Amino acid sequence: MRRFFFAPAATLLLMMAGTVGYGKADLPMPRHYVEDYANVINDSDERSLNGVLQELEQKTGAQYIVLTVQTTGGAPIEQFAIELAEKWRLGQKGKDNGMLFVIAVADRRYRFEVGYGLEGFVTDQYCGRAGREVLAPYLKQGNYSRGIYEANLQIVQKIAEEAGVNLSGMPTLAPVPVGRVSRKGLPCCSILPILFFILLVFGGIGRGMGWWFFLPFMFGGFGGRGGYGGYGRSGSYGGGSFGGGFGGFGGGMGGGFGGGGASGSW
Amino acid sequence: MRSGGKAWVVLVLALVVLLLLGLGIFGWYRSGYDRAVNLEQGAQKAWADIDAALQRRLDLVPNLVETVKGYASHEKELFENIAKSREKYFEADTRAGKIEASNELSGFLSRLLMLQENYPQLKASENFRDLQVALEGTENRIAVARTRYNEAARLLNSYSRQFFGSFFCRRAKVEPVEYFEAGEQAKKEAPKVAF
Repeated sequence: MRRFFFAPAATLLLMMAGTVGYGKADLPMPRHYVEDYANVINDSDERSLNGVLQELEQKTGAQYIVLTVQTTGGAPIEQFAIELAEKWRLGQKGKDNGMLFVIAVADRRYRFEVGYGLEGFVTDQYCGRAGREVLAPYLKQGNYSRGIYEANLQIVQKIAEEAGVNLSGMPTLAPVPVGRVSRKGLPCCSILPILFFILLVFGGIGRGMGWWFFLPFMFGGFGGRGGYGGYGRSGSYGGGSFGGGFGGFGGGMGGGFGGGGASGSW
Repeated sequence: MRSGGKAWVVLVLALVVLLLLGLGIFGWYRSGYDRAVNLEQGAQKAWADIDAALQRRLDLVPNLVETVKGYASHEKELFENIAKSREKYFEADTRAGKIEASNELSGFLSRLLMLQENYPQLKASENFRDLQVALEGTENRIAVARTRYNEAARLLNSYSRQFFGSFFCRRAKVEPVEYFEAGEQAKKEAPKVAF
């Protein structure tokens, strides 16, 4: 219920901020591959997915984060996702093999954000289908945990296949029906020159306005993480102050994103 | 003798001070000049990304139009308009011209997507859905590239208006660049997509 009061407030703040630009989405660097702020993934799925994603990074270098939040605070999920992906610098520098899945439960929107280096085989269409045909049916039933788990494993599977590795933690999955795609990858505009130095230069701009943007949400949670408490971290998993331990995410390595992927709602 | 030695010391000191001053000025000049050049490079790189994203969309258009034609053959005017603005983009040789043509195309494409509301069979087509995802993907890439480009352009343009910045920009022959504003039409007809 609370969000009905605060959503307009957030919109108002957004309007006061003027143009919607970069640097609004602001969450701390993930400490685990699965960051379930909205608390919709059950413990066993979370543990399993976290393990698979860790193995994926160990074997292929691809950094894949699964994030759930209640709301993006009025920002389009596309903007929210790319801002976080850039801020966290997911993926390895030069290989640009970062991947971010975001679902905003109360907004009923999700997005797969694909790093430059993965765009060739984790195509927009593939993400679109994983969303429409695997994720959305589960979401409609209210089974968020299973949907997030299976849809993301479909993408993980694709990355592992492409890298030619086997993930021991990977359960067997029915493949996403992608056979009918008449045209797979687009004539991909030569992978673009890295924009990183621009991001480095501009990265700081606008960050200052971050904290008060989330002010309306602060009242909604228990303040577990400074000002971001409103996202309501599940706390059931991890939560310690150590990073890089078992199941821990070590931090982004400077991968680049160009807005590839797909979004959807249910 | 003593006064001669003093003059010598003063002379050396003066030379050292002049040298340091010269080095300082040179360093300052070089960094200002380099800054202008780097900002321009940044804007050019960012523009190249926009160009690539726009190109990607243009590559997609014929396929999309063909698919829609199969279900909505009598929307001829729209198909023609799309073809025209596509041509216009290819013919444009300035950034401003390309921006205008691509904004026009954005408007037509969102109307094309809206056709699915009138043609349920089109909406149900898997091929169309994939193309729609592909189009959304390119639109999103364009939006991302545009934000980055505008940021690069803003830095360059504000530097070129600064007191010293404008001096260095003139020296380096760096000119302010055009912002990529989303067209009025695109703002009104933002593609609204239902899954």
